[in-house]
Order: sequence, then structure tokens, then C-alpha cells
Amino acid sequence: MKRIIALLLTVLMVFGLCACGQSAAPAPAEAPANNEPAPAAEPETPAAEEPQAYDYSGQKLVIWTCLTADAQYEVLNKQFTELGKEMGVEVEVERLSFNEMIQKLATAASSGDVPDIMHVNFGGTAQLYADEVLMPVDGIIDTIGANDFSEAYKRVLTGADGNIYGIPDWAMHTSVWYRKDLFEEKGLEIPKTWSEFKATAVALNDGADMAGFPVPLDGVQVAAQTLYELMCSKGIYFLDPKTGEYIFDQEKEEAIEVIDYLVDLYKSASPAASLTWSWGDYRNALAVSGTVAMTLDMGAVIGNAQGNNPEMTTKLGCFDFPGVDGNKVASFGSGYCFVGTKQDEPLREALITDFLIALYTPERAAERALSRPMFAFPSYLPAFEIYKQSEKVADFQTEIDTIFDAFENSTWYWYGMENGLSPMSAHIEATNIFGVALQGACDGTYTSEEAYDLINEDLAAFAATM
Amino acid sequence: MSSYSKRHRLIGILFAVPALIFLLTFVLYPVAYNIYLSFTNASLSARKAVRFVGLKNFTAMFSNKLFKQYFWNTCKWTFWSVLGQMLLGLGLAMLISQPMKGATAIRSFLLIPYVVPAVTLALVSKWILNSDYGIVSYWCQQAGWLDARQSFLAMKGPAMWVVVILNIWRSYPFPMLIYWAALKSIDRDLYEAATVDGSTKWQSFLYITLPQLRATTAVLIILRIVWTATYYDLIYMVTGGGPTGSTTTLPILIYQTSFGSGQLGAGAAISMVLGVLMLGCIVIYIRNNMKEE
Repeated sequence: MKRIIALLLTVLMVFGLCACGQSAAPAPAEAPANNEPAPAAEPETPAAEEPQAYDYSGQKLVIWTCLTADAQYEVLNKQFTELGKEMGVEVEVERLSFNEMIQKLATAASSGDVPDIMHVNFGGTAQLYADEVLMPVDGIIDTIGANDFSEAYKRVLTGADGNIYGIPDWAMHTSVWYRKDLFEEKGLEIPKTWSEFKATAVALNDGADMAGFPVPLDGVQVAAQTLYELMCSKGIYFLDPKTGEYIFDQEKEEAIEVIDYLVDLYKSASPAASLTWSWGDYRNALAVSGTVAMTLDMGAVIGNAQGNNPEMTTKLGCFDFPGVDGNKVASFGSGYCFVGTKQDEPLREALITDFLIALYTPERAAERALSRPMFAFPSYLPAFEIYKQSEKVADFQTEIDTIFDAFENSTWYWYGMENGLSPMSAHIEATNIFGVALQGACDGTYTSEEAYDLINEDLAAFAATM
Repeated sequence: MSSYSKRHRLIGILFAVPALIFLLTFVLYPVAYNIYLSFTNASLSARKAVRFVGLKNFTAMFSNKLFKQYFWNTCKWTFWSVLGQMLLGLGLAMLISQPMKGATAIRSFLLIPYVVPAVTLALVSKWILNSDYGIVSYWCQQAGWLDARQSFLAMKGPAMWVVVILNIWRSYPFPMLIYWAALKSIDRDLYEAATVDGSTKWQSFLYITLPQLRATTAVLIILRIVWTATYYDLIYMVTGGGPTGSTTTLPILIYQTSFGSGQLGAGAAISMVLGVLMLGCIVIYIRNNMKEE
């Protein structure tokens, strides 16, 4: 009996070894005769799978956009419709109100009723990422051309797991837009430090009709953006760019100095009512009514001037907001990207992937950016040359180079996403605490320290829940 | 109970069922759910599990530096709005109750504010009060009441008065109509008797009209307090709660907490506080009604 069992075990072992041998890596080639090191083995790659060809007919894509201008929406809608026809799919496009975007996205994610694709800003992307509804797009970016997108832009859209969750589309960068004619008239130079900047703003003040530099502090978003541009130039952030930890609470002294400077600018060169100014107010004041001489903006002032006061268009120029002592640490950058949501079916995922890839021809990317020139420039490099050659931006080559250089070659952050995608960004985008605190600092309700404490308490409480 | 009575009662219950279902679905369930949310950490984020947190939302609310300010803002907004509506409504009701030519046209004209959409009122107000091109701001700047390029909407004291005045303008027609109907129901003999006794118009108003309007006034005050304290859209569209939170009332705080910061549980706790205050008003209203009956 023992012999039979031993024989059976031997047979099983032999079969087992054979089976293992079949699935193991092929035996290495014989060692070379000489002592040269063996060539590095090629990484084992599975047999390349033929991409499965799907039939998309009868499929429907739901796409959301959250834009601020009709021209942008029209171009996007046109491209989506074109692609839908090319691919034989029905496309339904919905336009979200920008002011309620974060709330709408959060509600949609909670109910599971998210779109297939979305064209969205960083705050919206952060919200969708936090709700874990986005699909990684690394593969799509590789197919389009990973080197055609700036590293900084890809980093800001990278999640904690190292995957990228948005395909960069437009880039936007905050600069100081100013009246070149007034600078020339008063013999002013581009300021290089904070003190020079304030002196320039004061010098541009001209009675009740011309303010040197408005400090817009509308409650939601605007106040946070104004503060963040100043913070970045001094190297103060909400999250640690290296670790993603909340660090605003460790930078109290420096942050108070930033708020002091903001209040100083408000009191010395800003219209009194700018406490409640939003984007439209300061853009119109610079580009349409001509009642302010400089303002922070992402370039939409050009669109305002072209549409409402064309004579002003040639009088406007831009420069980077300076650093405290001349060396600017970072700046405030922004952008819009395309995101796709997780799908259960491979066919749906393939459809979204193919649709997104098809959106990235140089012509299409340039057309999207040119739908509101200067406000947005293409982050897809092959489209950038087409963009630059367009008549729409022909008069602004210097400004484009300034913005492009700041975006591509300098350090920039989007608030709350200093270390990649983070729900903190969506919170900053939606809270009104920046408006309450900074308006209060400017109208004397709070000291700069109290304003800082209000902001810090709110953000720290949120950070604790992340 | 006879079979007829039983059947009659059953039919009565059946007729009440749709209303009962409606109340359970759209009143009781939301209220109960709100109470539940106020004791949880519920948020707008889909990934966060809802946990019971006891009284944490309430303690956080009462220890928040800004909550006290927003609570008093709500009191100020409600008190002055209701007072203004009632006085203006009563005054105009007395005016239109006088026999005069074109009374119907005047009554219709005075009702216009009530049908003006809040969004229209908000946009026009912001326009005429704009610091740079608003006509009202321009006049005030010229008169020296405002600094150059300043607006009442950007000043923390005046901003509240602006929204209160707008609310009074929009809401006075309701008290006016109710008072007008109540004035019509006062027995004219009382006035005639008073006149015979040598009463002046002011004495007639003080000792006849006002006492006769007492019940109407009590009901109106309660209703207007509930509607005004929970009113949200006009302030939000005109000032957004600013500047410096000076026009942020509890309904605006509820919205900002729930949908701005995404803290549904904390927002529910604030709405509980507002709800309890309003419940107090409703209890007074019901007791008042029962006394009259």
C-alpha cells in the first residue's frame, strides 16, 4: 500500500513540475560563452491585445460643462455634436451654472447621477475626485502624447494614488492687467517688489475717477483668489506642496503680513465699494469704463474690451504680480480639463476614452482656447502655435509669452491643490469665509489676525475631515 | 353608530387620505429627516459615511463666533421688516378705504410690488445702488452722503437697511389687503357715535380702529414674522449676506453651511434652531386662534 501511495505521489509531483514549467518564464538562453554580462531581460509583457473594436451605435453620452461665457459653450457644443456624428453616438450637453457647480457636482455624485464626461475647472475636478467617481486618464494622456502637456498641469490633476484624473484643456494664469497708456503718461515702470507695486498703485490714483488697483473681495471665490495670488507670491500655501498636509495653521505670522498688505492696498488705492466687487465689476472698471488702472485677472479683460470698448484693447498689457522683495515664489494658475467618470461596462469606458482622445487634435484644442482668447490658452502644446498665429491674439504676443512663461516655466498652484487633487480646493471654492474675513479686515471689523483666525479655523476644521 | 353614519365617516376618512399622505410625505418626513440629520455628520460628499455625532453640531454652532452675529442679524431683519410692513400696510389700507375717485386704480397700483419677482427687484436694486454707475449712489455721492465710488451695499451698517427697505416695499401689500378687509368690517355706527360724542379723528383711530384691528394685527404679525425670518432669496441676491456677514441671516447661513461647506448635518442643526423659534410663533398663533373661537 505504501508503495502505491509513494508511486502516486511521485506521479503527481512529476505532473506538478511539468505544469509549473509550462507556466513559468521560458528558460533563459544559454549563458554567453564569455563573461560579458547577460543582456538585461526585456520586461515581460503580455501578448499585445488587439484593441477591441466596439460598435458605438445607439450609445448616448451625457456631457456637462460649467462655463462663464456663451462663446466657449458654443464651441464646445459644436465639437461635441461633430464628434457625436462621427462616432455615431447621441450626445446630450448640459450647461451648469458656474456659481452652483460644486453643489451640483456633489449632489450628482451622492445620487450617482453623474455625467459621462465633464469639462470642468480644478475645483470641480477636485470635488468629483473626492467623491471617487472619476476614471484615471493616464492611458488617454499617453495616447494623445504625454509630453504635449506641461508637467505642472499634470501634477495638479494627479490624485493621491499617483494617477491623473483630468486631461488638461485650457490654462489660465493670474497676472496684473494694466493700462499701458497711463503708465507711459505718468512715467511709471513695471513694479518689481510689493512696495513698488503699492507705490505704483497709489501713483495711478487720480481723484475719484481713477483707482490705482482694486482689491475685489466678493464673498465666494473672488476674495479667496485675490488673497491666494498675494500668498503665492510670498510662498504661503494652504497645503504643503510636498506632502499635501494642511500647513496654513503653521504660517500665521506670514499670512497676517499678507492680509496686512492686502488691507493696505485696499485703503490706499482701491475703490471703497470693491469690498463687494466680483469678476465682472473689476473687469468692466478696467476694460470698459476705464476707472481703474490695474487689476489682477486671468485675461478676460481682453474679451470685455473687445466686446464693449475696442479702443481700450490696445491700451492693455499684463505683467506678473511681483514677489515681496522681487523674487516671486509662485503664482496662481488655473485651468479647465476634461474628466471621464467610472463606468461598469468596457464598451462605455472605451467610448468615453475614444471621444476624449478625438477632442485632442491641435485644431480642436486651439479652437476651444480661442473661443475666449487671453482668458484661456491651450495647454496642449501642439495647439499652442495655432493659437498664437490666430488673428484674435495677434496684438497680444508679448502678453501671451508672459503668461505662457509663467505657466510653463515657473511655479504655480491652484488653491488647495498644491500637492495634487484635494477636496480642500472644492471647499475653498464654495465657502464664503474668505469674503467675511477679508471684507471685515478692510472695513475695520476685524484685525488681520482675527481675519486670519476666521479663515484658518474654517479650513482647519475641513482639513480634519479630509 | 348606524351603518349610514359609519359609511359617512369612512367616506370622510377616505377624502382626508390624500391630504394625509401629502402631509406625511412633504411635511412630516422632511422635518423628521432634518431632525435626524442634525445629530449626524452628514455631508454632501458621497464617500463619507453618515455617523451619529450627538450634540456636536449644536455645540459647534453655539460656539461659532459668527453664529451670534447672524442670529442678531436675523432678529434685526425680521423686526424692522415686519414693523415697516405693518405700519405701511395699515397706513395705505386706511388711505384706500376712504371713498375717493379712482380708488380701484390706486388699489391695483399699490399691489404692484407684491407681484414683482424678487430677482427683478434684486437686479434693479443692485443696478441703481452700484458704486460707479448707480443713479441712487450718484445722487448720494453728490449730496455728500456717500464717499466717492462707495455704495450702501458695500457698507456693513447701511446694507442691512437697504435690504430691509426693499423687503418692506415688496411685502407691504399683504398687510395692506388684510387691514383693508378688516377696516371694511368695522361697524360704521361706532365712528358715528364717537363723532356725536365729540371725538377727533385721531381719538377715533386710537380708541375704535386700533382695538377693532387687534386680532387681525396679532395674526398678521405672527404670519409676517414666520415668513420674514425664513425669507432667503431677496437678501441673497442683493448682498449675498455681505459685506462682512452683516446681512447674513440664519436661512442664508443654513444654505452656506449645507451647500457651501457641504455640511448637511451642521446645516440641519441651524435649521432646527430656526424651526424651534418659528414653532414658538406658530404656537402663539394657534393659541390666539383658539382664544377667539
